[in-house]
Formats: sequence, C-alpha cells, structure tokens
Amino acid sequence: MKKRDLQALPAYIALVAPALIIYLFIIAYPIFYSVWLSFTDFNPNRGGSWNFVGLLQYRTMFTDPNFWHALKNNLIVVGVSVFGQIPIGFILAYLLFRKMVKWGRFFQIVVFLPHFLSTIVIGILWKRMFQADGPVSRMIQIFSGDPMAQFEMMLYRETVMIPIGFALIWIYTGLYMIIFLANLQKINENLIEAAKIDGAAESQIFFRIIVPMLAGTILVSTILAIAGSLRGFDLIFSITTQGLQRSNAMVLPIFMYQSAFQDYTNSMRFAYGAAISNIIVVISLILIAFSRFIGRKTE
Amino acid sequence: MKKQGMKIFIAVLTVSVFFAASLGAQGVQEAAGPEQVVVKAMAYGDNSNQEGVNWVRIVDSFEKANPDIDIDYEMLYDEAYHQKVVARLASGDVPDLAYMGADARWGLPWKEAGQQFDHRPFIDADFYNLDLIPPMGLNGEIYEIPLGTSNITTVLYMNENLVNSLGFSAPETYEDMVAMVPAARAAGLEVVSIDGADGWAWGSCLMSTIIARMSGDPQWVSKAVAGINKFNDKAMVDSLSFLTRMVNDGVISSKSVLVDYGANISNFSNEKALFMVQGQWAAGGIENPAVSEATKMLAWPKLPGEKGTAGSVAAAIQVGYGLTKNGASDPAVRDAALKFIRYFYSHEETTQRLRDGAIVAPILKNFQVPDDLPTIVKEKVILAQSAMTTDVIDAYLSGAANDELNTGMQKIVSGQSTAKEIADKVESLVKR
Repeated sequence: MKKRDLQALPAYIALVAPALIIYLFIIAYPIFYSVWLSFTDFNPNRGGSWNFVGLLQYRTMFTDPNFWHALKNNLIVVGVSVFGQIPIGFILAYLLFRKMVKWGRFFQIVVFLPHFLSTIVIGILWKRMFQADGPVSRMIQIFSGDPMAQFEMMLYRETVMIPIGFALIWIYTGLYMIIFLANLQKINENLIEAAKIDGAAESQIFFRIIVPMLAGTILVSTILAIAGSLRGFDLIFSITTQGLQRSNAMVLPIFMYQSAFQDYTNSMRFAYGAAISNIIVVISLILIAFSRFIGRKTE
Repeated sequence: MKKQGMKIFIAVLTVSVFFAASLGAQGVQEAAGPEQVVVKAMAYGDNSNQEGVNWVRIVDSFEKANPDIDIDYEMLYDEAYHQKVVARLASGDVPDLAYMGADARWGLPWKEAGQQFDHRPFIDADFYNLDLIPPMGLNGEIYEIPLGTSNITTVLYMNENLVNSLGFSAPETYEDMVAMVPAARAAGLEVVSIDGADGWAWGSCLMSTIIARMSGDPQWVSKAVAGINKFNDKAMVDSLSFLTRMVNDGVISSKSVLVDYGANISNFSNEKALFMVQGQWAAGGIENPAVSEATKMLAWPKLPGEKGTAGSVAAAIQVGYGLTKNGASDPAVRDAALKFIRYFYSHEETTQRLRDGAIVAPILKNFQVPDDLPTIVKEKVILAQSAMTTDVIDAYLSGAANDELNTGMQKIVSGQSTAKEIADKVESLVKR
C-alpha cells in the first residue's frame, strides 16, 4: 500500500465503518443466525440450552407435503411474474413509447396506479372482489343466470393461483412498464426511423431492434421479479382468509411463518422455520443464476 | 490527497461528536425531568373497534390521573396481535403487561416463554369476585384478570322478528330449523349465516358444541387432547358428518366458506339471515339497532343423534390483561401495572364493556347490573346463566392438528373431503 493511501486509511475506515456496522448487524447477523439455527433444536421463545441436530430440519422439510405444495405455488408466482408481468409491461411500454394509443399519459398513470397502494389494501380489495356474492360472483350470476352461482376458485388447490396470479399481474405490471418505458426513451429514435426507411415492419422493429437493445433491462427485471416473487408474503396473506384459502394458496414465506410462529406442537419450530427461510434464499439464488445464464446465452 | 483525506476524517469526526453530544444532551434533559415508571404494554384492538377506542381513552385518562406512570403500549388486533406476541417473546422484547389468555390459543406463547405470572397474591379480594375467576394453572394459578366471566363461543343469534315474519318461532330441534329452509329461500334469506371463510369459526363457534352434543361429554375435547378419546372416534366422525347434513338440508349454505367475519355480521345485521353463528363477543358488532333489539341469543337446539349435554354452549376462560414475569420482576413496574389494571377494570369501565357487548358478565365484587342495559346484553346474561358449558376446541387443540381440523371442516362443507378422512388426519397429527 502506498504511503498516502495509508495516511488516508483512517478516513476511509471512518466513512465505511457506520455502513459496515449497520450491514453486519441488520443483514449479515440474521443470515448467519438463521443458518446456525436451522442446524439446531433451539427455541428462542423458550430459551435455555440447544443441541446440534444436523440436517434434521431439512429432512423434515423435504418430507413435508406442505413444503412441496408451497414451492409449487411459489414457482407459479415466479412464472406469473416472469412470463406475465414482464412481457405485458414491456408491450404496454412499447405501445406508449410508439404512441400507438391515445391518451398515453392517462393509461400510463392508470396502469402504474396500483403500485402506489399498500399491498395489504390491495389484498383486502381483491378478497372483497372474490368473496361470497362479491363483485366477481355477481358478474357470474348475471352472465350465467344462476342466482346461487359463486366464484369458487379460491376454494380449490388446483385453481386458487389463477385469481391470485391475475391480482399479481394487476399490481406489478405497471412497475415493469415504467422501467421499460424509461429505457425505451433512451433509445435513439433515428435507429427506428432508419429501420422504417429500410422497410422494416413494426414487428421487425420490435423483435430485431427494441428487444435486443433492452436485453439488459429484461434481465434485471427478471431478477427483480424472481426475488420479489420468492419473498412475497403480504399480498397472498391478505388476499386469503385464514384456513382453507390460505392453505390452498400457501407459498414458502407463509409456510415458513405458519411453521415458525403458529405451530406450537413443534418445539423446534423456529429452527424449522429458519431451515425453510434458508431454502427460500437458496432457491432464489439458483433461479437468479439461471436467469443470468440464460441472459448471457442470448447475448 | 493527504489534505483531502484529513479533511474528510475531520468532517466525519465532527459530525460524530455533534451527534453524540446531542444524544448526551437529550439524556441529561430526560434525567432532569420527573421520574416516570414506564409500563410496556401490548393491547388488543384497533382504532375502528370499541376495544381499541376504549383502550386509548382509558390510557389517556389514567396517565392524566397518574403523571408518574407512562403506559407505553402497542395495540394490535386479530392475527397481527398473535404474530407480534410470538415475535416479541422470541426476540426477548417482553412487555410488562399484555392482553393474554391461559388456553392453547391465547396462553401458549406466554407459557412457553415462561412469562406467565401468578396474580393471586396481588388480587384484591374486596374488588374482584374470586369465585368468578377460574384457576388457570395446575395449582390454581391465575395468569390474567379475565375481562368477564366465561366466554361463550357457540352462540346461535336469532333475528326473532325475521323468524316470526316467516311464521316460525325459536327452534327447539334441528328439524325446526330445517322446516324454515323453504320459506327462507323463497324470501331470499339464508337460514344460518357463518363466517365459514375463517377456519377458526368452524372449530370455535360450531364444532365445539356439536361434538359435546354428539358425544354427550362436555369435556370430550380436552379428553381427546389428553389421549383418552380419539379424534377419529365415532362421535367426532358423526359430528363432522353433521356438517354435510346441514349443507344438504340447506340450513347452512355451501357458499358460507366464502363469507368472512365482517361479512357474516353484516349479513345478519342487514337481515339477510335468520340466524348467525358466532361467539358472544359479536353481539356488539350488530350495528343495526332494530336487529340488535330483536336478537335472541340461543344455544343450538336439540341436534339429531345428540347423546346429552342438551342446550349446552361451549365456553372458555375469558381473556384479559395480565402482568408478565418480566413486568412483575420490577416492583415499581409491577405496582404501576396493577394500578392500571384496577383502573381498567373499574366499575365504570366494566359497565361500559357490558353495554358494548364485549363481555358476558363482570367479575367484580358487588357489581350492580344497570337496569337500562341493551336487550342483547340482557340476552347474553340469560344465556350464560342458563346454559351448561362445554369445552372449546381451540382452547385445548393447537398447531397443525387444529389447522387441519379447521381447514378440514371447510373442505367437508365445500365437498372436497369426507368426515372420516379429516378425522383420521387430525388424529394422526395429534399423535405426532
């Protein structure tokens, strides 16, 4: 190290230390604690001694059908985000960018509006939409002519993720639309004009010019969508009622919460919850690595 | 570079010193102020319900009357409250005073954390009627001061005017309710409304009474949790099968699994149902005065296959406020908290709670029941005084087994599972 660097070292440390200390306490410590906890039988609520139990919590988790059900639902949420929100957001952004719709500003605000609302408020709103004789049921009754008809998708494991996926698209598409629109506005319009002069159709402009130029943005959006989907708790928790609906729509964070905070019959429940949390992180890292790999391949 | 580095270092140091100094000054100011005892509390309610509004009002007036005590509270409601209790206990942030119970739902986190505190040495026998406060521990410990006498969870609310308008009167048997179905349907009404979208409502507010009737044993549930009975015994399978019969008979609608707590009370309050299933606490939520005035609070009528405990209701020890071990460990905090509890349970506040429909009956000594109580409150007292009480399921059963039972009942009602399947699953989880 050069002498002048050494002399500046105290200043560097003074600048970095506060952020580093906060990071260590708020981010790093819980991660290490969670990893450690998942290999023990420690119950922080009860306190006292603890034992190292190896992979017991992970083995229990992998043999628990609720884990696989929650994972399946989580992957559906990831799928809805990556293959629903992002493409729709991209298309909407493109329509606005190319001024293909009138009142572009108005639609931009309308699509982005749900993002200003609290997720809990949105969850309760959609719960009201789906409840007995709620707006969706009323529409079914009007169109089917059956006054007793109800919207029942929330009651079945096979269908519960359809209305939830719809709500997820409604909420988050606006965010991706704004991200894509901001990046589209950075593209030199002369490129598009040149392509048009050369006789390129709108679809060719879209697929041959716009999509490749925004490949990086698509990748970043995909990573954001995956990370957001795997930690998603609030919307699904608030859109479902306690009991059958929440059990049907269970995703990994809700499974973790119920296992760690509600299942008093399991004295190792916090350690079990920590194991589930760690797996969420691992799955998230795998999916992000996979999307980066795909991104590099397509480049 | 050297000069620049030094400048940055000095700037950071200056900011740090200034920050530290301002903190120190604040500390000195605080030290100079009047010495207050701070009681950390966890309250139950929210700003839109009577419990929460009353809590805020009581704390404000208590603090004005006792400037040396600061009730530093966090108020939460429903699931949010239960979540936060667990989180605070697990993180070691134990409140001194909290809303709690002594059963599987309201008491387990405190028990597990070793924070239950026996209030017996500190309960003023001249103020509280000790005969009305049940023992909560094996040795008769009292871990909280119940807001009222036993909490009836399986009330059948009847809109008497609506029932009479269809040419019927209060049902004496289940068949009497079945007989109301055609007339109710013709009038576009539900017979019995239940918040079936909430899993707990099936267990706490309906099955708790059905199992006691079908088994003829008021303590069937506690015996099953203790291993004396099994959750897949015939009595339980019959009780669960009875849900299917209720749906088939039209007494309960299969769409009730899509109705939540608020919608259930709203349906009854807006005269969309002849009857409503809920706990006694829901009486205060019937906001239509005409309906409230016309409401009778009943035990379920005689059920087919009933073996005993006729006219019974399920009831649990009422929740209330209690000190934690943590709060009781500091005599100043303990005394301040006990002073607040007494203020909270004063005759005036208890009367208000009675009027609001939040409690069945007070636990205070020499309490004079006002003559001008709302009709629905008088109804509640009559029911509490006349009905035999039985176990409430989630007062004894918790965790995965209780969840399975609750979601299982929703599956039965929506035609996704059979009674036997659910009973077997619950028993296997209890065994585990």
